[in-house]
Amino acid sequence: MNPSAEAGCGSEHCITCGDDGVPMTVLALDAERQLALCVDEDGVRSQVETALVEPVAPGERLLVHAGTAIASLAASVNGSVR
Amino acid sequence: MKFVEEFRDPELGRALAGEILGLVEPGRHYKLMEVCGGHTHSIYKYGVDDLLPANVELVHGPGCPVCVIPMGRVDDGIALAHQDGVIFTCFGDMVRVPGANGSLLEAKAAGADVRIVYSPLDALRIAKQNPDRQVVFFAIGFETTAPSTALTVKRARAEQVKNFSVMCSHVTIVPPLRALLESPDLRLDGFIGPGHVSTIVGARPFEFIPADYGKPITIAGFEPLDILQAIVMILRQLAEGRCEVENQYSRVVPYEGNVRALEVMAEVFELRPHFEWRGLGFISHSGLKLSEAYADLDAEVRFAVPGVRVADPKACQCGEVLKGVIKPWECKVFGTACTPERPIGTCMVSSEGACAAYYNFGRFAREREVV
Repeated sequence: MNPSAEAGCGSEHCITCGDDGVPMTVLALDAERQLALCVDEDGVRSQVETALVEPVAPGERLLVHAGTAIASLAASVNGSVR
Repeated sequence: MKFVEEFRDPELGRALAGEILGLVEPGRHYKLMEVCGGHTHSIYKYGVDDLLPANVELVHGPGCPVCVIPMGRVDDGIALAHQDGVIFTCFGDMVRVPGANGSLLEAKAAGADVRIVYSPLDALRIAKQNPDRQVVFFAIGFETTAPSTALTVKRARAEQVKNFSVMCSHVTIVPPLRALLESPDLRLDGFIGPGHVSTIVGARPFEFIPADYGKPITIAGFEPLDILQAIVMILRQLAEGRCEVENQYSRVVPYEGNVRALEVMAEVFELRPHFEWRGLGFISHSGLKLSEAYADLDAEVRFAVPGVRVADPKACQCGEVLKGVIKPWECKVFGTACTPERPIGTCMVSSEGACAAYYNFGRFAREREVV
């Protein structure tokens, strides 16, 4: 379980109500089960569903919501704010 | 931090604020609704509204799935949690939401086995670790979260985890928006569209807003510059007399959404005829339940769920806050009887709820001065 979950709603951000998306990096893959071990910017590791963004590769950056990768950030080229 | 720091640049923020100032007509009042609770949180966390001219008002919409869960649904969850042999799992957001007879946290204190999980996958893992117990996952959230539940339901089926089930309270974003737009007491000039919901559903489902109601909508990311740029894009549409769906968050939102996610949701869920929203009442085809094919994993089929219906507390004005009719501090109990420590309404529970965002970032005093 991700330690941030223990913080619950008393923490700064709620998972669902914040429509939260956490950028994470893929460390290792279990391609058969469509799972990946990922790490976030704070070094917290967790298991992530990758079925919605397959294929993924180690080192790839994913946008993760509630344990599921919902977008690949590597494919996001239109990042300009101007 | 890549994808974050470049969207918090103060110089760019000031430039966008200047652009906003140049786009507004003096004497015209602009009311823009940010649909998503995540936007509400970012706006107050980063002080985005302080950069806006006085005649640009941000109204906070119904896009916090915790805030819209009716009390009866919480009571149903508590009843399930108290059943013999049940481990009741839910996101941390939900445990403090008050039902008519306390919260899930109080149920836990009273002996129910309530556990906070970060993902449905964690709930499934608990089920595998406790084969002699029934593990129920209280699934809440909009289309951002629903695919995660759907994938876990499919995984439970594939891995033959028989002691796992889902109490499905997922909701969809379009029906409440339509209900809001039909509301006679609402006057809005445009919408800041939800970012991560749109990662899943795409931009297309929002086309009815300009087509049927003549309002612009810009889908936006959650960093301060994302929100400021979305406001620029909406104001530019208004200034040019245009009315379209625009996508500020194109770095993660494809126009067609995530096709695989939509497919897995279509397989695992079906629309409920009606679903009750706190403050908004029953809205047709706005909630999801498990489809016939997955009914054996539906906790409401597996267990006796009371189906409680509870009226919202009279003192609480969450409904008007959710519709953007009043500001949180205009509620009679805001900051006095209703605080994040002892919430009466759900908008004060979730940190993304409009009331909690106002309270936590000290907006009750400052707003009064402005208004």
